Amino acid sequence: MSLDAREALRLDDVRKVYGTADNPVTALDGVTLRLSTGTFTAVMGPSGSGKSTLLQCAAGLDRPTAGSVTIAGQPMPTGGEAEVTRFRRDRIGFVFQQFNLLPTLTALENVTLPLRLAGRRVDRKRCALLLGQVGLGDRLDHRPAQLSGGQQQRVAIARALATSPALIFADEPTGALDSRAAREVLALLATAVRDHGQTVVMVTHDPAAAAYADAVVFLADGRIVGELARPTADAVAERMAHLTDAVALAGV
Amino acid sequence: MVTLALRTLRHRTGGFLATFAATFLGATILMAFASLLDTAAAGVDSATAETLILMASVAGGWCLLIVAFAVTSTLTLAVRQRDREVALLRSVGATPAQVGRMVVVESALVAVAAAVVAIPAGFGLGRLLFTLLVRTEQVPASVPYRFGYIAAGIGVAVTVLGALIGALVAVRRTAKLGAREALAGDEPRRMGWKRVTAGWLLVAGGVNCGLLTVLLFSGHGVDAMQTAGQASILVSAGLALLSPALIRGMTAVLARPLARLGGASGYLTVANLRRRSHQLGGALMPVILFTGISVGTLVMQSVENRAADVPGIPASAERNIETLNLVVVGMLALFAAIMLVNTLVAATTYRRREFGQQRLTGATPAQVRRMVGAEAAVLAVTGVLFGSLASLATILPYTIARTDRLVPDAPALIWPAIAVAAVVLTLAASVGAARRALRTPAVEAVGRTA
Repeated sequence: MSLDAREALRLDDVRKVYGTADNPVTALDGVTLRLSTGTFTAVMGPSGSGKSTLLQCAAGLDRPTAGSVTIAGQPMPTGGEAEVTRFRRDRIGFVFQQFNLLPTLTALENVTLPLRLAGRRVDRKRCALLLGQVGLGDRLDHRPAQLSGGQQQRVAIARALATSPALIFADEPTGALDSRAAREVLALLATAVRDHGQTVVMVTHDPAAAAYADAVVFLADGRIVGELARPTADAVAERMAHLTDAVALAGV
Repeated sequence: MVTLALRTLRHRTGGFLATFAATFLGATILMAFASLLDTAAAGVDSATAETLILMASVAGGWCLLIVAFAVTSTLTLAVRQRDREVALLRSVGATPAQVGRMVVVESALVAVAAAVVAIPAGFGLGRLLFTLLVRTEQVPASVPYRFGYIAAGIGVAVTVLGALIGALVAVRRTAKLGAREALAGDEPRRMGWKRVTAGWLLVAGGVNCGLLTVLLFSGHGVDAMQTAGQASILVSAGLALLSPALIRGMTAVLARPLARLGGASGYLTVANLRRRSHQLGGALMPVILFTGISVGTLVMQSVENRAADVPGIPASAERNIETLNLVVVGMLALFAAIMLVNTLVAATTYRRREFGQQRLTGATPAQVRRMVGAEAAVLAVTGVLFGSLASLATILPYTIARTDRLVPDAPALIWPAIAVAAVVLTLAASVGAARRALRTPAVEAVGRTA
């Protein structure tokens, strides 16, 4: 396979159609995208543009109707959930809007869980260190209910980093947080990319959040309609306003 | 809030299925026995009336206890499963009283509907029971079967009242939680003192029934059943109330082997057992009840059958009574078994979101199934252990009172058969429900809203 080892994510003509044969709804209409290792990319678009579907298809949480997904040179398997899960948990970390920490486990146990599930050696010291890096070194034994939203999301970031994945996906990671907690979470993601060579793809609707990324990919009606390198919040907001207007006009 | 209650009922019919099933079955069985009272009241000879009333009050009395307990505990579980929804309502400004009214109204509506639908079923089952009485020549064939106000009244009143009490108790607990706590889904570490007291009182009441059996009814033959039959039911119900503590006790013993042998699934099982003892306790209740009541009453009946095996009474009549009694006991056991499946399926289905979170963290469906299986195994072992203990409250006193022996003269197969049934039902219901819950894609199961 002539695959670039530096390529963390590659989408080739990915389509996703929901609904019935009589009433199909196209969420992704042929998306092709290549992202290099060590980059921080934001995916933006008006609501209903397919950005969450894009993320879920790329992360193996949803199955594309057509097209292929390649993670760090390896094609995403097309078999059952177990096969996809085994592929995913070795290569992909995920940060959700609603954190999705297990309520019965402590912060440290939540971070070690992906390693346990994958049957890998559990390096508690390293996991504790990861929690220290996200500023929760003194909260290792707290349960999610005892942590604030921002703290829970930082645990989720440590959990995503624990398996040293090729790629971390973040779906509106700041959507449930206040602005201060949101800034901390975004700074952590940016640090993971800049200092540790992680690759992060983040879906957001917040131009200020997108400004933390190296590049922004704009999505509308299930298609990529533009890119912006070294984004500023103002530039992103302006582009989004145009997109929203264009979608509104097209809908008339 | 009443309007909201009606809306919820209309749109989330599935969520009320467990409540409906428990109330319907409970009301059916109660009505069947109570209809014997209607029949007795319709002017029959005094001997027949006595037979009918004895049958209705002894067997029906045990049923009453079980049905009331089953309906109450199902309702408690059903309401507890809506903690998040209740918290959501609280967070948009509903007062605890408003939430309470909504839940109680919903429960009452479901219970009334189920009890009313149960009337024809109760009529049918009652008729069957009556036919059996006639066939076993305990009631002359000339007596007409009647189903009237007593049957319908007792059936509806007990189940609806049980449902209301269950809803009220559960709502009080939920309403006490702050909106934030409920959304976080944390549970109290300890049982309330009222629950502990009620549990021990029931156990004490059961033991007392056992003592009375020995002290008052020794040598009085089959009369000893009146107190002995209740003993295991009361002890089972008491232990069922104490189930979170029982789970914690068993966890202390089983945590090490489970964590060592079970891999990641065993690890999650132990975490759930330690920190969700209340939630799992709700699932343990029916296992204890099923085992305790089935073993207790079946062994008691076998002891009675052997003890009554004296010359003088024609063997065919005796066989008939035996059949009749086994039908009654069988009905109780069947009800307990259905409640077991009902509760476990409801409790497991409720955990769809938790399973989703585990899958998103990297658990394969097989790992989730193994975790549920390991939990169900712990529930089954704990339930069989304490259920068997509870059954002794009936078996020992009855054996002493009826036969002057300590070891019951009963088929050795009863206990293993019930134990295997309890284990198989617990595992099948839990893993089956988990299998179904896993069909929802993980992202959907977790939901995008809190």
